[in-house]
Amino acid sequence: MLQIENLHVRTDGRDILQGVSLTVERGEVHAVMGPNGSGKSTLANVIAGRPGYEVTAGSVRLDGVDVLDLEPEDRAHRGVFLAFQYPVEIPGVSNMEFLKAALDSRHAAAGEAELSAIDFMRRARAAADRLDLNPEFLKRGVNEGFSGGEKKRNEILQMLLLEPTLAVLDETDSGLDIDALRVVAAGVNAFASPDNAVVLVTHYQRLLDHIVPDFVHVLVGGRIVRTGDKALALELESNGYGWLTDHA
Amino acid sequence: MTPAELLAERTHALRAEYAPWLDREASRRALAEHGLPEPRCEAWRYSNPNRWYETQQGDAPSGGGTPTAVGARLVDFGAADDDARALIRKHLHTATDRAQHPLVTVNDIAMQLGLLVHVPPSDAPAEIEFGELGGGIERILVVVEPNASATVVERPATPTHRVVECVLGEGARLDHVRLQPPAASVEYHLVAARLGAASRYRLAQYSQGATLRRNDLHVRVAGRGAEAEVRCGYRLAPGTHLDTQVGVEHEAADGISRQTARGVVGERGRAVLNGRIHVAPGAQRTDASLTTKSLLLAPTAQMNAKPELTIYADDVRCAHGATVGELDADALFYLRSRGVAEGAARELLIGGFLAEAVSDAAGDDARALLGIGR
Repeated sequence: MLQIENLHVRTDGRDILQGVSLTVERGEVHAVMGPNGSGKSTLANVIAGRPGYEVTAGSVRLDGVDVLDLEPEDRAHRGVFLAFQYPVEIPGVSNMEFLKAALDSRHAAAGEAELSAIDFMRRARAAADRLDLNPEFLKRGVNEGFSGGEKKRNEILQMLLLEPTLAVLDETDSGLDIDALRVVAAGVNAFASPDNAVVLVTHYQRLLDHIVPDFVHVLVGGRIVRTGDKALALELESNGYGWLTDHA
Repeated sequence: MTPAELLAERTHALRAEYAPWLDREASRRALAEHGLPEPRCEAWRYSNPNRWYETQQGDAPSGGGTPTAVGARLVDFGAADDDARALIRKHLHTATDRAQHPLVTVNDIAMQLGLLVHVPPSDAPAEIEFGELGGGIERILVVVEPNASATVVERPATPTHRVVECVLGEGARLDHVRLQPPAASVEYHLVAARLGAASRYRLAQYSQGATLRRNDLHVRVAGRGAEAEVRCGYRLAPGTHLDTQVGVEHEAADGISRQTARGVVGERGRAVLNGRIHVAPGAQRTDASLTTKSLLLAPTAQMNAKPELTIYADDVRCAHGATVGELDADALFYLRSRGVAEGAARELLIGGFLAEAVSDAAGDDARALLGIGR
């Protein structure tokens, strides 16, 4: 489904990704791990189309279509979802308004009818419930005054509502206490299915205690230096990234 | 002769036909003595008053809609009986200041329509609405008697010269909403309010731009413990102009005032927002604040924001802040990454920004005027 080939990306005058290749199929969960500054977040952002990154070589294809020339909203319509490392606060725009706009645009792009306000509310409430979020939060400004954990849960809630085919989770575990981590992991596990794929970008192994990946990739210095299964993550946990950095 | 001198001279010589019983001598004297502001003076730095002077050709009123009122008495100055004349004489110019707003003298002398809104005390708040009254030189005098309360809504209208004077008695309540539509007009508006002790005045002005639209909003917190709120929400279409000068004068102790402005300016638009807080000696324990936030949507959009505080009392709380920015790129990407198209994402962000300036009174009308959802 997702094919990244020889991806080179530059931002702020620095070459961050230096030849990343990665293939993700439906039904798979991938973890991309690596030390700070290795390019993990860059990879996640480039897939979603965040402005400010220059792709100097390589391609990112989704179901055979190169998405690098597509606007972020078009990528979203093709099933890409990025859970932000730092979800943005938008005062004055309610969560409900935001989620409805996102869902409506998704349905419009697919040529489907809009959800009625009642169906929308029912789904939003059910998703909030699943993530232990007080339904009152739907009335609040987007991420406005949310705790770190609430922001991350709100990202997962959006994922559940939008039902992407490719969910990229950028450091979704950072800033979560253990209870919130469990709730978030349960949300991701419930979401993962044979019809979609999940890419977890994370620094730490602890998220992988709760979401078991099929593949673990280690990104160091803008390249994937090693790929393995869950055992690789445990190895990183005990040995750190140093032994891989030395070989990079 | 300059356009200011020409208009001053012509106005001074005018023999008032409308409501001739009104005493216009003080305005004539002020006009003769001080004249009218010339271009580029500090108060008219960003709006050329000549453009307005040149529209003041004494055109006959074009006729407008009929104001409506529940719980208040409406009197045309031109048809006022002795009782109404006494009320008008008693209250007119108790809120305005000819020195600060010299154009009010032209309104006095050349007035084409005057409307007294008299709100007596009652169990239920009065509701008054008016829109276009004639498109000429208009004077509205709102008198809210002690402990009475009212909502006045100015529906979209494009008068060339409108002065609204609001006089609040002790313990009175007035919610005042102004809706200013997009227009190819040249307009001058003055709102002057005088607040009696423990009264509360809330002004919400929602504006689109015009060829030239100038709003002077002048609130005198004259009685002890009075509260004033001034909200301005505006959205300027490409190439339009809006100049708003807010002045809140704390003349008595224990007053509270809040000024909030939110504006969005499109390409080649020009917005001016000067907010002033003045605390007179003796106005101790004043609690005043002023915040101005604006968004510029294009490099050719202009915003001039100037907060100004003059404080002559030592036990006060005054806060002010002004920001000018662009749409937040991170927020825009956040929305787009969820599938919201760029144009719709921008509208959502603009709507969210402006929504914070919209109050409950006539909120739906305000949102419609500003072109924002919900």
